Amino acid sequence: MSLSQPTDAELDVMIRSRLASIGIDLEQLPAGSTPDPETGSPGRDSVLASLRGFVRTTVLPLSSYTFATDARLAQQAAPPKLYPSIDVVRES
Amino acid sequence: MSAPQDSQVDRRSFLHRASALAAATAVGSVALPAVAHAAPARAGTAPLVDVPARSVDLSELTIAEAATLIRKGKLKPEQLVEVCLDRIKAFDPTYQAFNLVLADEALARARTLGRSRGGALHGIPLAIKDNYFTRGVTTTANSYLFADFVPSYDATAVRRLTAAGGIVLGKTQMGPLATTRATTPDGRITTVNAWTPGDPRVDPGGSSSGSATAVAARLATSSVGTQTGGSITAPSNAQNLTGLKPTMGRVSLHGIVPLSYTRDHPGPLARDAMDAAIMLTAMAGEDPEDPRTQGLPPVPDLITAATPVRRGPRVRARWRTRIGVIPGFTGGTSETAAARRTALEVLAGIEGLSVVDVSMPDEWDLLTGAAFNNVRLPERSEPFLPLLRSNLRGFGVSVTGWLQGALLGANEFLIGQRAKVVLLERVLEDLFEQCDVVVQTSPTPFDALGLPELALPIGFTAAGVPIGTILGGKPFGEDRLLAVGAAYQAVTDWHHRRPADPAAARIAPRSTATPDRGRITAEQVPDLMQ
Repeated sequence: MSLSQPTDAELDVMIRSRLASIGIDLEQLPAGSTPDPETGSPGRDSVLASLRGFVRTTVLPLSSYTFATDARLAQQAAPPKLYPSIDVVRES
Repeated sequence: MSAPQDSQVDRRSFLHRASALAAATAVGSVALPAVAHAAPARAGTAPLVDVPARSVDLSELTIAEAATLIRKGKLKPEQLVEVCLDRIKAFDPTYQAFNLVLADEALARARTLGRSRGGALHGIPLAIKDNYFTRGVTTTANSYLFADFVPSYDATAVRRLTAAGGIVLGKTQMGPLATTRATTPDGRITTVNAWTPGDPRVDPGGSSSGSATAVAARLATSSVGTQTGGSITAPSNAQNLTGLKPTMGRVSLHGIVPLSYTRDHPGPLARDAMDAAIMLTAMAGEDPEDPRTQGLPPVPDLITAATPVRRGPRVRARWRTRIGVIPGFTGGTSETAAARRTALEVLAGIEGLSVVDVSMPDEWDLLTGAAFNNVRLPERSEPFLPLLRSNLRGFGVSVTGWLQGALLGANEFLIGQRAKVVLLERVLEDLFEQCDVVVQTSPTPFDALGLPELALPIGFTAAGVPIGTILGGKPFGEDRLLAVGAAYQAVTDWHHRRPADPAAARIAPRSTATPDRGRITAEQVPDLMQ
């Protein structure tokens, strides 16, 4: 059975919960989609719409990426590096 | 001059060395490929150059030209600073390239320097992007969050530029916290493209747009910016400048407000390849305060690399170099495509340079696409967590990028880091098997890998807007990129062209010279952010 993708409402709950779990409260932003007239920061509805798009277009493709057909061999390849161009030179 | 540094330190030499070691274990002795480094840079010198008649206007001088006149006693640093300050006073109400001008300090410093022989930047007025720390001077990163921040020390790059004799004219406008084009933190457009001062719709480039406009509009002789996606190369291309985004680690990030620990690159926005070389020579090198700079190859002789090589009247390449052309680079009927075709023809006509079509590594579009580019975003949110909790509105129009970073999980972050290694291996082993440098249609892929890029002017649209291109190189291949750029600029004159002054601004006060320029909204920023 394949999992169904989360609905907008479910993603909103996930986004708000994730942010709240690390202490970020979207209630700091203006309600609705009208930006804050003083700072230009967006309204909560606009932010949530943008973040839903981010989860769907970034989190899913990244988490779906596979390095090799055999996951047991993929574990041996491409260890994570923050600075690949530097590391290549240091290995030389 | 010895071989370019990129021929000595790339992944391929590592692989050959590893296989040779394996062979030695099996059969006894074997000669290992050398992993040598180029000679140290001549950091304290700038070349003496001819100063052509076109440069009688002091504001148009390159660093090399100004330094030559100063060393010969024909120009005082004070005169050069005064010219820049006069132009800032007259035209910056229109350009809005600066958000802080240090007029008195710059003049005092110029008088102190005098004609005495100094470093390569002796007496050269510089514009510094406002995310570089400047001791005792407000460093805002153009954000509400840093509005009153006054650092107690200079960024390492600023310290090195001034130690080489550079004079800080002021701090430049930038995208809020180095996102998007220069606006106020609430999104109102500030800096305009120096080539279209009356039309703020023309993008001045990425977040280093103030630094670019300052040089293009001849308010400063050279400048520095930072790139986390395209913010050195894009404004350079947009404003007819030569910009150099170095390899990650070549220049210290100590004392620069971070947008990303792994993607921020400090570098120069200059008038030509030689000026970029002089600036990078001053900025680059190991810094005890930044581990990213340590244990890396020494800075090669970039100034010699950027000196055109001539055989009689003809220009030839310093090193034989294959210039890779990626699929679609010259496709279409646009003015950009036509300029690219002409630029490649010019390059191919230089002895020692060849232009070759190359194929892209597997999964190029996927691994260089938006999703994998977004793995940089948690690096924004993590250091700003306390401010995200207490002052979300303080991020202004840029807040969404920080919230995106806070949503990305550790699994995705690690997959992204591993994918960068896969991509780099394919670039070095597949793409650079076919060429030595490669043209780019986007600065992002090489930025993500930390590879060097050189932005060059190659023409103009019919409307008079500059067209540029980007060359990408192997790790620490700045010398080869500069050598190619210098050869190209020795046979072209795009880089000599300067925009007309905005005449109406000369007498107009700021309030009337800066009508509503429009506004970038928070919804637009994620699509534009670096």
